[in-house]
Amino acid sequence: MQVREYLIRRLMILPLLVIGTSIIVFTLTRVGGSPIGIYLSHEMSQEEVAEIEARYHLDDPLPVQYLYWAGGVLRGDLGWSGISAGPVTQVMPDKIAASLELAVAAGIVAVTLGVGLGTFAGARRNRLPDHIARIFSISGASMPTFWFAIILLIVFWVYLGWFPVGRSTTALFTSIEHPTGLYTVDALLAGNLRAFGDALWHLVLPAVTLGYGATAIIARMMRSSLVEELQEDYVDAARAKGLAERVVLKRHARRNALIPTVTVIGLSFGFLLQGSVVTEIIFQWPGMGRWMADAVLRGDQATIMAYVLFTSVLFLGVNLVVDIVYAYLDRRVVLGD
Amino acid sequence: MVDIPHKLPAVAPSTESALRVRLRRVRELSASVLANPTTVLGFVLIVAMISMAVFAPLITEANTPDPYQMPRDWGALNEPPGTDGFLLGTTNTGGDVFYGVVWGARTSLRLSLIVVGITVLVGVLVGSVAGFRGGKFDEILMRLVDVFLSIPELIFALAIAAVLGPSFGNIILALAVVFWVKYARIMRAQVLHVKANEYVDSARIIGDSGWNIYRRDVFPNAITPIIVQATMDMGHIVLVGATLSFIGLAEAGLAEWGVLVSEGQAGISAGRWWASTFPGLMVFLWALAFNLVGDGLRDVLDPRTETAR
Amino acid sequence: MSARRWRATALLLVLAMIMAACTSSSDTEPDDPDAPATTEAAGESEGESDPTTGGEAGGDVGEEDVFVHAGDDEPLSLDPAQVEAGEYGEAVILQVYDRLVEFGPDGPDLMPGLATEVPSTDNGLISADGLTYTFPLREGVSFHDGSPFTADDVVFSWDRAMTMSLPEGTADLLNDNVASMQAVDDFTFEVTLQAPNAAFLNSIVTASVAAVVSQEVVEANGGVVEGTPNEFMATNPIGTGPFKFVEWNRNENLIFEKNDDYFGQVPALDLRIEIGPDPDVRVLGLRAGEYDMIETDPSFIGDIEGAEGVVIYSEGLLLEPIHIGLNLNITDLPEEDTIPADFFHDPRIRQAFNYAFDYEAFLNGALGGFGDFNPHYIPQGIFGYDPTAPVYQQDLAKAEELFREAGYWDEGFTVSVITEEANLFEIAALVLKDSIEGLNPNMQIRVLAVAEAQFDEAHASNPVPYAMWVKNADPFADPEAYLRAYAHPDGEWGEIHDFGAGYQDPERIAGLIDDAAQETDTTKRAELYAEVQRLLFEDPMWIIAAQEGVAVAYRDRVQGFVHNPLWPRPNVRWNYFSK
Repeated sequence: MQVREYLIRRLMILPLLVIGTSIIVFTLTRVGGSPIGIYLSHEMSQEEVAEIEARYHLDDPLPVQYLYWAGGVLRGDLGWSGISAGPVTQVMPDKIAASLELAVAAGIVAVTLGVGLGTFAGARRNRLPDHIARIFSISGASMPTFWFAIILLIVFWVYLGWFPVGRSTTALFTSIEHPTGLYTVDALLAGNLRAFGDALWHLVLPAVTLGYGATAIIARMMRSSLVEELQEDYVDAARAKGLAERVVLKRHARRNALIPTVTVIGLSFGFLLQGSVVTEIIFQWPGMGRWMADAVLRGDQATIMAYVLFTSVLFLGVNLVVDIVYAYLDRRVVLGD
Repeated sequence: MVDIPHKLPAVAPSTESALRVRLRRVRELSASVLANPTTVLGFVLIVAMISMAVFAPLITEANTPDPYQMPRDWGALNEPPGTDGFLLGTTNTGGDVFYGVVWGARTSLRLSLIVVGITVLVGVLVGSVAGFRGGKFDEILMRLVDVFLSIPELIFALAIAAVLGPSFGNIILALAVVFWVKYARIMRAQVLHVKANEYVDSARIIGDSGWNIYRRDVFPNAITPIIVQATMDMGHIVLVGATLSFIGLAEAGLAEWGVLVSEGQAGISAGRWWASTFPGLMVFLWALAFNLVGDGLRDVLDPRTETAR
Repeated sequence: MSARRWRATALLLVLAMIMAACTSSSDTEPDDPDAPATTEAAGESEGESDPTTGGEAGGDVGEEDVFVHAGDDEPLSLDPAQVEAGEYGEAVILQVYDRLVEFGPDGPDLMPGLATEVPSTDNGLISADGLTYTFPLREGVSFHDGSPFTADDVVFSWDRAMTMSLPEGTADLLNDNVASMQAVDDFTFEVTLQAPNAAFLNSIVTASVAAVVSQEVVEANGGVVEGTPNEFMATNPIGTGPFKFVEWNRNENLIFEKNDDYFGQVPALDLRIEIGPDPDVRVLGLRAGEYDMIETDPSFIGDIEGAEGVVIYSEGLLLEPIHIGLNLNITDLPEEDTIPADFFHDPRIRQAFNYAFDYEAFLNGALGGFGDFNPHYIPQGIFGYDPTAPVYQQDLAKAEELFREAGYWDEGFTVSVITEEANLFEIAALVLKDSIEGLNPNMQIRVLAVAEAQFDEAHASNPVPYAMWVKNADPFADPEAYLRAYAHPDGEWGEIHDFGAGYQDPERIAGLIDDAAQETDTTKRAELYAEVQRLLFEDPMWIIAAQEGVAVAYRDRVQGFVHNPLWPRPNVRWNYFSK
């Protein structure tokens, strides 16, 4: 009952949160100056500047401007992206697909590495391997993405030539259809294995960069819940039955320890989302993060707003799911915070 | 599973022995924290880097008029480490990398102390009031918190800093605006948790004032996760701050690690690795040190909490 | 019961999330543990052509049929009527569209474009009064969509730009000069000017705004609406030029196909412009051989020099001197600034700044020696440049003396200088800061290095809300344009910065510039310009840090490299290149 009421309340409040977020960000983008800085040049007269401002409704009061924007969103029009010189709705799907593909790949790196390290460390609590695993995983959370990415780029692209930058080999990817915008999936749908390999090849460095950062959170959770599970009675019982330690660990303890880890995997999504800004900039990955950073630096309001709308809906959704799952898994937690 | 993690102070002992209990607890805690070698490593790194920050003027002569600006020698661009008294080489504008590394520690210490100070204070205050008063105030506040949490922190800080214009002061401000939310959340949850427990009810029946309940029951319980979070944030804030200045939101020529990595990035392909490697390494070590200690503290104090994001 | 059901639902949701991750993991997983396999795939893609791409070479490294250029910016609009001067869209318009006449590949001489002859008074295509220009046009040219090109398209194109009159574009060039135009017949275009203008061909007919678009295409896609941009044209250029536009993957690349029917130099290769704002990645990509050519600035040349297989072209100078503006029209300054509103009215202070600046550090440090000193607004390479004109060099004693005389030495001052971040302008600002603060720590310079959009907004304001700013000059082909914009008291910056309040003799400077503009005798004209330069040395309105050198880097496999600073940046036309 409690969970159900909570869920309904949260779902009802979700649109309000999105509106609140969009109002804050909308105001923010206007405080710093004109959102059309990229269109202005010193050759323009005052009248010409006013003309451009009128085109984008900048001569209206702020609340009216917001209503223009919100009205557009309801009609499915997110405005004109100055930095991409195209309608936001036309540009954004590709960006989302690119970021999603990267986030999923990075998520796989993080989950594999995190669960592996966590298990490894948890089973060897407070021994040397545990300490090393801890330093390795915490290093991920402490690593400045902008620096790590550059180092990887230098080593693997410039010196070794193993991995490229960008998202694909253009010649290969102009040759196939892109129904989903996820290059790996598109390549498989087209049955083109070379294109698939190429897409994967381009994914490796950014996914490792991005995934390593989220590893620590997952490894940490995996380790502590495994340590806890290993102290449970059923583990002792299993050992008493004479099962091998490896089997106890894999079949029983790890499986149970994975459940709380799942919520953390959901939460680390936020980490992937923000890490993607720097990763995408450095690896020339044409996703949402790089788009957003560009828009912020060049004062492109329509793009910033579209991005915020997208992330806040996604983020609130994921947080909601995580909250609920967490409540389900651990009934001691009081919902509502 | 233990429901209430720490102590049950329903029957208040005399203040003196309570103090002694607390002291003993601190001693026990420090012993168990220091039993973990990775935590010790973190402590050593922190002490080393904070000493570097504090004694920066003794290590290298402060630049005039502004010591937080890199001293530039336009006649010695891109010098490799070890030449002409440039221990770690120079940047493409003749900046002394060693100076940047040392004074960058001072810049980072200033950044993290100010931001953590402000955010803890604001967060604790707001979270406590919300938790205690409840009702409309709490509802509105928590929705505001949700709004803040619905934008990834780096991107939120990026947007604010970009609006305010490029300066290190604005990065501090942007980070403070973004980071208080976590503390408010932790504090409020603790208040609710304690409020839900019986012993507070009994205290209320006995007629204890709200302030006493807060001081005796809520605060000591809440302080643990706050300390863990603050320790981690000491490192995390420098990481995010350096990212912002790397993207270009700090003022030009600042003796700051992110700025230096960004300047040095240009030369890496030509083999000039030093200008970005050393400052980048410093950001990493700084964040690592605080994360190791924070993680060790959490292990000992509060093994079940995991900090979100 | 129902609580349990909710829990089940929640769990299902999570499972769905994991499933989603796992399904894609089956796509992606082979990748991580299996790096060698994917490397192999890459090895293949470098070599033979791929059956699926129809004979096109796969692989990033050394694509055979495509010229890969790494640019430094993304266009804002590809519409000639909308593109801003100096904006990256101009580079695309130069390749896809044609103008009636063009700057030739080797220098400032004009050559026929869509016109078959360059009008002159000698060939009678310019009327004796200098008002009417006649352009005989090429026959048999068609647009990339197949529609034929006629004189009507020229009339339509110019008329369209003039009607739309978009403030961000450069329609004023046409509106301020053209009185009337007509298609005399299908292949003769005639235009009459409002007043004679010696620079009409050089600075107007060759401009992006004068590029010829297809009437058919525009009318089928939104037509012409006054004051409103055409979204189709902004993103789908269809011209007559050497390259056909194929695709614009935003923030990624621009793809073009060669136009085999081009009337001029037919390109040997298709073209792809990689949009990579990160200068380091451009340099790395060139070294790795992925790019055939990159845009860079002199400060990066040191990084590329000596790299195997890389050629650096650094001959000649850009026609865009890097300058620091001194604002005499101060109404509003940042709080930290302590200078009075008439700070720069005093010529001694303007001179003192010019003597204090460390030109040597900027040119030989930041620019790596690629460039030249020239504190004048007639750049080297432009008519009227006087090699004997006096030149500012750093002279700290003189600077100190002047600051003392002006009364600022003891109390000092703080002044902010605004600039774009992370480029040469920022470095010039830092050199200024070190020069002035090194002279006297009481005189402080705050460097505000901001994002380009923020800088543009400040720079576009009138009055400019800062006392000093760093940028480069716009390139022109004629001294008149430079002096009008940057020295004349009634010119563009003369008005914004209020030069009239500072010049010791504004009428004399205005008179000399006006006289020179009308002087037809080149010797006399040069003398007038020499005189102006001497006056401006005594009465500087700018600190001109340096005239930046050309710096382009390309792989040694590239053939036929030509570069013309009069073309929009990156100053190349790729149809001349092969490899």
